[in-house]
Amino acid sequence: MSCDFPILTLLIILPLCGALLLCAFWRSDKIARPVALGFAVAEFALSAWTCVRSSLPGLPGAPAGLSLFEDAAWVEHFGIRFTLGMDGISMVMVLLTSFITVIAVLVSWKGIKERIPLYFALLLAMESGILGVFLSLDLFLFYLFWEAMLIPMFFLIGIYGHGRRIYSAVKFFLYTFFGSLLMLVAIISLYLMHGAQTGTYTFSLTQLIQTSIPFGTSLWLYGAFLFAFAIKFPLFPLHTWLPDAHTDAPTAGSVILASLLLKTGAYALIRFGYPLFPEAARAFTPLLYATAVFGIGYGAWVAFAQTDMKRLVAYSSVSHMGFVALGIAAWSPVALSGALLQMVNHGVTTGALFAIVGMLDERTDSREIATYGGIWGKVPLLSFFFLLFCMASAGIPGLNNFVGEFLVLVGTFRVSPVAAAGAFLGIVLTLVYTVRLVQDVLFGKENKPLELSDLTLREGVLLAILAVVAVYLGVHPGPVLDIIKVPIALLTKA
Amino acid sequence: MTYSDAISLMPIIITACAALLVLLSGPFLPARATCTIAVAASGAAGLFAAITPPSSAPAIPGLAFTPLARYLIPILCLAAALTLLLSHGYNQRRAIKGEEYPATVLFALFAMCVLPCATNMLVLFLALEAIAFAFYILVTMDLGRAESGEAGLKYLLMGAVAAALTAFGFALIYAGSGTLELGAISATTVNRPIISAGWGLVVIGLAFKLSLVPAHLWTPDVYQGAPAPVAAFLSTASKVAAAAVLLMLLAFLPPMTELHAPLYALSLLSMVIGNLAALLQKNIKRMLAYSSIAHMGYLTLAILTGTREGYAAVLFYGAVYTAMNLAAFGTIASLSTNEERSLVTDYSGVGFSAPFRGGVLALSMLALAGIPPTAGFIGKFFLFYAAIRGGQTGLAVIGIVSAAASAYFYLKVVVHLYMRPAEVTAPQPATPAESLALGMASLAIVAIGVFPAPLLKVVDIVLR
Repeated sequence: MSCDFPILTLLIILPLCGALLLCAFWRSDKIARPVALGFAVAEFALSAWTCVRSSLPGLPGAPAGLSLFEDAAWVEHFGIRFTLGMDGISMVMVLLTSFITVIAVLVSWKGIKERIPLYFALLLAMESGILGVFLSLDLFLFYLFWEAMLIPMFFLIGIYGHGRRIYSAVKFFLYTFFGSLLMLVAIISLYLMHGAQTGTYTFSLTQLIQTSIPFGTSLWLYGAFLFAFAIKFPLFPLHTWLPDAHTDAPTAGSVILASLLLKTGAYALIRFGYPLFPEAARAFTPLLYATAVFGIGYGAWVAFAQTDMKRLVAYSSVSHMGFVALGIAAWSPVALSGALLQMVNHGVTTGALFAIVGMLDERTDSREIATYGGIWGKVPLLSFFFLLFCMASAGIPGLNNFVGEFLVLVGTFRVSPVAAAGAFLGIVLTLVYTVRLVQDVLFGKENKPLELSDLTLREGVLLAILAVVAVYLGVHPGPVLDIIKVPIALLTKA
Repeated sequence: MTYSDAISLMPIIITACAALLVLLSGPFLPARATCTIAVAASGAAGLFAAITPPSSAPAIPGLAFTPLARYLIPILCLAAALTLLLSHGYNQRRAIKGEEYPATVLFALFAMCVLPCATNMLVLFLALEAIAFAFYILVTMDLGRAESGEAGLKYLLMGAVAAALTAFGFALIYAGSGTLELGAISATTVNRPIISAGWGLVVIGLAFKLSLVPAHLWTPDVYQGAPAPVAAFLSTASKVAAAAVLLMLLAFLPPMTELHAPLYALSLLSMVIGNLAALLQKNIKRMLAYSSIAHMGYLTLAILTGTREGYAAVLFYGAVYTAMNLAAFGTIASLSTNEERSLVTDYSGVGFSAPFRGGVLALSMLALAGIPPTAGFIGKFFLFYAAIRGGQTGLAVIGIVSAAASAYFYLKVVVHLYMRPAEVTAPQPATPAESLALGMASLAIVAIGVFPAPLLKVVDIVLR
């Protein structure tokens, strides 16, 4: 390493330190918010600096394509090493994570009324876990962070949620836990296979990629990995935890769930699933196409039937992540770029939508569409942002989702026209529920007399930032695409 | 017996002398003093064992300070010390008076120190039963609850049968091989049937001690009836000792292929039935009893492989499991007033009314479920890794699926701690001794979870 400073480790540890600090001062409500915001902003600044730092000349000794790399012995008995690495793909994800965490902290400024330090501690702990997933290159370390992500989210939904929060939290936890345990069996089997072949027992991703696995076994192993990731995506029919978890979580919990947690599944499939088992992944491609296309249509179809705004946005997440799955299944540079871009776009757009729904919920204590109607006149600013992000979610050109969806569809059409055609139909359904949502909430007659106050400064600033990012990614996605170009070329060439 | 022999047997000498000292001076000293003597003695014994180099030559006929002893005795002494720290406040609240309690704990510890040093089957059996005897007494110590006496009687009756079977088993092995020395037994084609029969009976007796299904029926009742610190000690130290006996027999006796089927069945039944039954429990101590049955099922899976990795996993998990269960039962003890806080619903809201102890209980639940980054995850990982590497992939998958299901009842406790409003009165503050014990147990859980390498290295040295 040309720079000895363990910046990636610091990226993971900084939010954790913030969380521990907040836990230590669990009685003082007043300082919790500024401290949490401080840590979140510091983390974002650090991740921004990491991006600058990583554009300097590459590092000797690091695996190909990585701009930052850290490696240390951890548990030598098993060959587990503390290996972190950042390439273009993880850089984009890390930036997204730290950005969304700042948004999440800002969104919950006024919404949480009691046990405030614990809440922000859980938010920061989540950030650590998610960053760990995005940065680890050692299979055991990845698994550790993958599971560790569940705990703060479980507490966030269970303590600070509403509705059937305990049921949703336990369901979310057990569903994901079960999938991950099957993946653990696959990881251990792969580890033992590699050890039997080469004599070195290691969990390192770069070394395990070189294992030669008999095709039949690789189908099982990849299937276990895909099962675990499909629960996180979520892919139909393993999506049933998502509507409950998203609806019953507090606002920031939903934001982080939708914007970040779902992306970990997609990222892990790209980083671990495909490189480790190329032939098995190829064999599973038709299945992935089918579930992706069906998910796009199904998510949109069910979203149309929802009366709860949060549940509607949750199902729209299922639909949008179907696009990401489609792009990954196509596994061509264009499609994969589209999928990654869509991950970022979806994070921004759906995060913003959940934030706005949360703001409406804070004002009227209701997330039902029937409560609202014709609020455009009452809260013009909030309605403007609501319309903007709904249009973004629907994939209107000029806004961010369009670019991602377009790239995915173009890339997929070259490889599998049938799948792309199916996805096109899904876009129509997306427009249906989006327009219906906008119409029922913003326009038309007001169903109940409502006292609504427009955006406060804090809310306005965070929505404006999100809007600027959405528009920027919509008209000028070039820089992001440039960052991810090299890693994607390396992945799809292999 | 030379000077170095005496030094290597110091843990045994210290615990025996301390037990007698506590018993004799108990009527004249206040309870705090006897407790302090007992804790100090346990700590000293553990420390002595940790710093004394092992030797395989017998110090006195029948006892040798083996590497296994050097690993296990500090763990058992630590368990005893933490139990004593936790029981002091608990006994005062429950009016369990008298110096008999710390003295009996020390007698149990004495037997536990003898056990891994044994080189002779008779000494092994005596140590095993001495542990059981001490626990028969400890379980019934709470005179204010009828459940306590009932639990002790159940344990005594079933334990007596198991002891008889174990003794008969050892007798058969002796009859077949002609010697009681562990290293000298060899199975020829002539005496193999007798030795196998003896082994079978010994496995039944040890299955009782390890509470493997179907010899597990005493466990829920005894854990429920016993005072919480005694349940902590029983579920950790005596199980670790029994597992050690199994390891020692497997290490010294010739490899027995006849053992494979019984161990397989025991492991499968314990994992599945232990986890399934725990799902139905409303009483937290019964739930922990069934969970420990399941955990012993996982341990048996690792023993079943017969490989060095499997035995290493058992030793590693013994230490981890001790920390987790001590933390869990310790918080139950600390949160109990003159009424034991026995139902899971009694813990509603405790996470916020008693944050430290609620946090320790939540941590121990997450560790028992095997969730990173706790020691429980590393332990489970090691066990299943050893199982898959040893060829038991099918049983490992069953074990992992049942472990996934087990997360539900561990989470139920966490849900009640943090996500339900408080129903009962707030608990009294923790005494310094309890805080120290719980702090040490949780520190062990987190430290081993994040840095398992030192413990793994120690286990490696033991098995060399």
